[in-house]
Amino acid sequence: MKKRILTAALGSALAGLLFLGQSAWAADLKIGIMVPTTGSEATAGKDMENAILLAVDEINQAGGVLGMQVTTMTGDDACDPQQATAAASKLVSSDVTAIVGGYCSGATLPTLKIYGDAGLPFAIAAANSTKLIDANQGNAFLVNSTGYDQVNTAVELFAAKGAKRLAVIHQGDGYSEDLAKLTREKWAGDGKEVVAYEVVNKGEQDHSSLVTRIKSKAPDAIFWTAYYADGGLVIKQLRRSGYRGLIAVGDGSNSPKLLEIGGKATEGVYCFSNPSVDYLPTAKAFTDAYKNKYNQAPDAYSTLAYDSMMLMADAITRAGSTEKAAVIKALSETKDFKGISGPVSFTEQNTLGHSNFVVLIAKGGKWVLAE
Amino acid sequence: MSSLDIFFQQLANGLILGSFYALVALGYTMVYGIIKLLNFAHGDLYMCGAFVGFLFLSLVSGLLGESWTGILCSMVLSMLTIGLLGVLIQRVAYRPMLSAPRLSILITALAVSMVLSNGVMALTDGDYEAFNTDLGFEGLEMGNVFITYTQIVLVVSAALLMLTLFFFINRTMYGKAMRAIAIDQDACRLMGINVNRVIALTFFIGSALAGAAGVMAGVYYGSIHFFMGFVIGLKAFTAAVIGGIGSIRGAMLGGLALGLLEAFGTQIPFVGSEWKDVFSFGILILLLVFKPTGLLGKTEIERM
Repeated sequence: MKKRILTAALGSALAGLLFLGQSAWAADLKIGIMVPTTGSEATAGKDMENAILLAVDEINQAGGVLGMQVTTMTGDDACDPQQATAAASKLVSSDVTAIVGGYCSGATLPTLKIYGDAGLPFAIAAANSTKLIDANQGNAFLVNSTGYDQVNTAVELFAAKGAKRLAVIHQGDGYSEDLAKLTREKWAGDGKEVVAYEVVNKGEQDHSSLVTRIKSKAPDAIFWTAYYADGGLVIKQLRRSGYRGLIAVGDGSNSPKLLEIGGKATEGVYCFSNPSVDYLPTAKAFTDAYKNKYNQAPDAYSTLAYDSMMLMADAITRAGSTEKAAVIKALSETKDFKGISGPVSFTEQNTLGHSNFVVLIAKGGKWVLAE
Repeated sequence: MSSLDIFFQQLANGLILGSFYALVALGYTMVYGIIKLLNFAHGDLYMCGAFVGFLFLSLVSGLLGESWTGILCSMVLSMLTIGLLGVLIQRVAYRPMLSAPRLSILITALAVSMVLSNGVMALTDGDYEAFNTDLGFEGLEMGNVFITYTQIVLVVSAALLMLTLFFFINRTMYGKAMRAIAIDQDACRLMGINVNRVIALTFFIGSALAGAAGVMAGVYYGSIHFFMGFVIGLKAFTAAVIGGIGSIRGAMLGGLALGLLEAFGTQIPFVGSEWKDVFSFGILILLLVFKPTGLLGKTEIERM
C-alpha cells in the first residue's frame, strides 16, 4: 500500500513537471526524426540523426524558425516495418509539426499511411524505392533520387559522349537487371541502338568469350549495372581484349575495390553515385562542422539528411505558420532550394525534379567527380 | 570483326579457359581413380592455393618484385603448401573412412569443402582481395585476334604441368604403383606396395595441381575470394566426367572440351550469352545418356 502511494505521488510530481515543461517551451517547434538507431542499419541511421541535429543547431543559432527554437524527437524504426509503424504512431501522438528522415525503403513504406492520415509533412531523406511514390498520400517528399534517375543520368552521359551503340551487362539479380532493363528501354525509346544486352553469372571469373561477343558488336559505350567484384574482372577483360570505348558502372559498383581489382584497366571508367560527402565540393563546411561536433567523418547519407532538415525549416518559414497543410503546400512549391547535395525542386509526384546522381570518373586509382 | 576472327578468338578463349578446367579436373580424376572418391573439397583447394599464392607473393614482392620470378616462386611454394594440405586432409578426414560405405566418405568430402571455404571466409572477412601483378596487356595480334603474352605463358605452364604428370604416371615406379592400386588395392598390398603412402602421394600431386591453377587464376584474373572454388569445382567435375572420370588423358581432354563448349556456347546465334551454361551442361547430359563412361573412360565390368 505504501508503495502505491509513493508511486502515485511520484507520478503526479512527474506529470506536474511535464506540464510545467510544456508550458515553458510552448513556443517551440518540434520536429520528429525517423531513422534506424538500432539494428543492422544503426550506423547509417545514427549518422543521419547526427546530421539532422547539426542542422537543427545551426538553425537555432541563426534564431530558429519563425522565431521559435527547434526541438527534436527521434523515433527508431530499426529498419523494420513493424517497429517503424510503432515509432511513427508514437511520433504522431507526440504532436510533432513535421517528420524528417527515412533510410530503409521497406521500413519507410508502412509509415507513409500513418503520416499521411495525420497530414504530417514528411521529408524522406534517403529511402528511394519507386514503391514509395505510389504509397505517398501527397504529404511526403523524396529528397533522394529514385532508380529512374540513375537511368536518366546514365543515358545523358552516354549521349553527351556521342555514343550511338550501347551494350548493357547485368548479373541477373533484381537490382542490376532492373537498372539494365530501364536503361535499355530508355535508350531504345530515344531511337538509339542497344547492340548487346548480356548477363554474367555471379562468381564466374572468365568472361573472355562474352567479351569477344560484345566486342564483335562494336559498341561505343558499355554499361555494367551490377556490383564491383565481378565488375572489376569484366572491365579488366574488356580492356585486355583491346576495347577502347566508354565504360560506365552503376552505383552498385561504387567502391574502391572495383579499382583495386580492375587495376589500371579501370582508369577513365565512369560511375554513377548518390551524392555523398566525398565527392561534393559544396559539402566542405558541412564536413568540417560535422567532424568538429562528433569527432568522426560524416557517412554517405548525411548530406541528404542535413538537406531534408534544412528544407523543412525553409518550407515552414515560407509557409509562415506551423499549420500542416500550409507546410505541405510550401514544400510542394519548393523551387531550386540550395541543398549541399544539389538543388531541390519537386515533381507532381513529390519526387526530386531532376536526378541528384553525380558522375564519378576513375583517376589514378581513385574515384573523383567527373567534369 | 569478321566471323572468322570471332571463331579464332573464341577458340583461343576456350583453350585458355579449358586449360584451367583441365588442371583442376586432373586432381578430381586422380583421386577418383585411386580410391573412388569424388573429392568435393577439390575446388576449395584451388581457392586455398590462390590465397596461399597471394600471401607468398605479398611476402616476396619486396624481395623479388611482382615479376615472373616472384610469381614462379610463390606458385612453387603454394603448390607445396596445398599439396601438404591435401595429404593432411586425406590423413585426417578420408583415411579413417576408406573402409566405410562410399556415401559416408562423400559426405565427409562435402564437410571438408565447407570447413575450407568457411575457414578462409572467417580469416578474410569474406572480402575480395585484389591480386594485382600488372603483367601488362601486350600480346600477339593476328588480324583481329588478340592473345596476350600472359595468356600464352599460362597455357604453356599448364601444358608443362600436365606433361610432367603424364610422364610421372606412365614412366615411373610410383606412377605404376598408382595405376596398380586403381585396379586392385589388396593385390598391391600383397605385392609389398605401401598403399597408404601412394594414396597420400596421389593426394599431394592432385592438390598441388589445384594449388598451381589457383595461383595462375589469381595472377591472370586479378581477384580472389573464398567462394571462387565453388564454380570451378563444379566445372572441373563436369570436365572430368566428360573425359571419363578416372582417366588422366580424359581429364585433360574433357577440360579443353568444356572450355571450348563454353566459348562457342556464348556465340550461339539468336540467343543471349546467358544460354551458354544451358548449352554446355545440355551436352553433358546427352553425353551421359549415350556414353556414360565419358569420352575416354573404360567400361567397368563388375564380377559377382
